[in-house]
Amino acid sequence: MEKRERGILLEAEKFKENKGVKKEKMGEEAKGEFEPKIIGFTCNWCTYAGADLAGTSRKKYPPNVRLIRLMCSGRLDPMFVLKVLLNGADAVFIGGCHPGECHYIKGNFYARRRIAAIRTILKQFGLDNRVRAEWCSASEGDKFARIMKEMAEDIKKLGPNPMRGKIL
Amino acid sequence: MKGTELKYEDLEGLFKGLLDKKAVDCLILPHKVGNNVAYMMATDKDRIEPPVPAIFAPSFSVNAANIVKGWTIPEKIGIVAKPCEIRAAVELIKLRQMDKESVLLISVDCSGTYKNQDYADHYGEIGDWVDSAKIEELKGKGIAIREACEICDNRFADVGDIGIARVDGEKVLVAGITDMGIEALSALELSLEDKEIERQEEKEKIAADAKKKEEELPKASSVEELEEFLRDCIVCKNCRDMCPVCYCKECFFDQPLGNPVGGDLLNLAELRGAIAVPANQLMYHLTRVYHVSTTCVGCGACEDACPKDIPLTRFYPVIAKKVQEIFEYVPGKDVEEPLPFVTYEEEELEDKLR
Ligand code: SF4
Ligand code: SF4
Ligand code: SF4
Ligand code: FES
Repeated sequence: MEKRERGILLEAEKFKENKGVKKEKMGEEAKGEFEPKIIGFTCNWCTYAGADLAGTSRKKYPPNVRLIRLMCSGRLDPMFVLKVLLNGADAVFIGGCHPGECHYIKGNFYARRRIAAIRTILKQFGLDNRVRAEWCSASEGDKFARIMKEMAEDIKKLGPNPMRGKIL
Repeated sequence: MKGTELKYEDLEGLFKGLLDKKAVDCLILPHKVGNNVAYMMATDKDRIEPPVPAIFAPSFSVNAANIVKGWTIPEKIGIVAKPCEIRAAVELIKLRQMDKESVLLISVDCSGTYKNQDYADHYGEIGDWVDSAKIEELKGKGIAIREACEICDNRFADVGDIGIARVDGEKVLVAGITDMGIEALSALELSLEDKEIERQEEKEKIAADAKKKEEELPKASSVEELEEFLRDCIVCKNCRDMCPVCYCKECFFDQPLGNPVGGDLLNLAELRGAIAVPANQLMYHLTRVYHVSTTCVGCGACEDACPKDIPLTRFYPVIAKKVQEIFEYVPGKDVEEPLPFVTYEEEELEDKLR
């Protein structure tokens, strides 16, 4: 009993901290034009490095994406995709090594099946065009920048995630 | 297929024989309870009741595979059930929730079933078995089979180890489908011959009808419609518990992240500003439909279990079928075929990623 109460207290502390963080974030959102928020899950060995290369070689791409590094695209649990969309982000990007080049041999082959399945499910509700997976190697900084540009434009056209304002 | 024709009344001897000859250590099969049927599990052959009228009764209570989920003991269990139940059991074998060697799966022809309470209420009109003409006639009187059955295109006893198919004139064809099935039947000293029943035409008709009915079903096609569809869901998770192929020992939605309490719940609300409670309703259903997307056998047990009468057949089997189509996979058809998520082809699905 005591332990549980303490747990809640700790959580409540976290809650207070979070509150500040959130306010800050909201302030940073530009008023006026819709700026899509894209969450990218990128493989450590390829797309994440590709993004790095795009950065260091000063390739311009829109700042809409927040990257989360995975050790392999095979680490992507499709629940991540659901969670991201439910929490109101506008799109999900998934980047992995080219088929046949996964550092764990077949992680991206499994990932491809999972992504195809979750996109098929989301398609029923018109959400599949908010999820995009690409194979992008560490040397393809150009490609990464191009995809980000395309995605930002596509999602701008699509408009905000319909789940965003909802009480779900 | 190696099989033999038997009369209805011979089935009693067949099931008794399976226990007697130790082809199985116990047997799950339907039996009559008042106006309805329910499953029983027998170890003593003398407790087996005459299988007809129960065995072809169009009544669905629980998916029998759900009862044996986690049957990891070496003793062998036989299950006499409808094709969707047997197919669920096959999926459970592939998911390593059952050992192939310790189950003998016996499928029975099915024409579609009524919710078991509807069956009992209208037993006088429905009777011990139905065919498609009877189903139509009863539908006119407002007695309808379950939606899951309307869209089911796997109604023949051609799955599992043994199939019991109905042929004309109160006769059945009992056939071994796998080696294990043939072995079990041989132990009963039945004379097995090469038998085929020509049902391809009927099969295609059922498939075409089922597809048409499925297309006609109302479906949620946007976030708004999905929200409306799930409006009454209280996240009791009965649909999960009664689903034969939802098998996790520790469901995500029973853990703190999936079922947040106290501070966790507060944090979730804070993250989004406002959330629906009980929390994670939409996350639960979308996750579950992904988890069963390749293995859902379309039995409709989820819908039957829903205390809020949400027509879940329009969600789970309908969506799962779309996923199964991209992998060209029919759950429960072949125990040797790998589950779609544990295999891959080097070149595939590139058009489904973006
Ligand atoms: S889903 Fe198919 S096999 Fe199962 S009870 Fe209905 S018609 Fe029979
Ligand atoms: S999701 Fe529903 S229809 Fe599909 S297998 Fe589970 S209980 Fe049966
Ligand atoms: S059984 Fe019905 S109310 Fe319960 S969680 Fe499933 S859909 Fe919701
Ligand atoms: S290591 Fe990059 S996808 Fe597997």
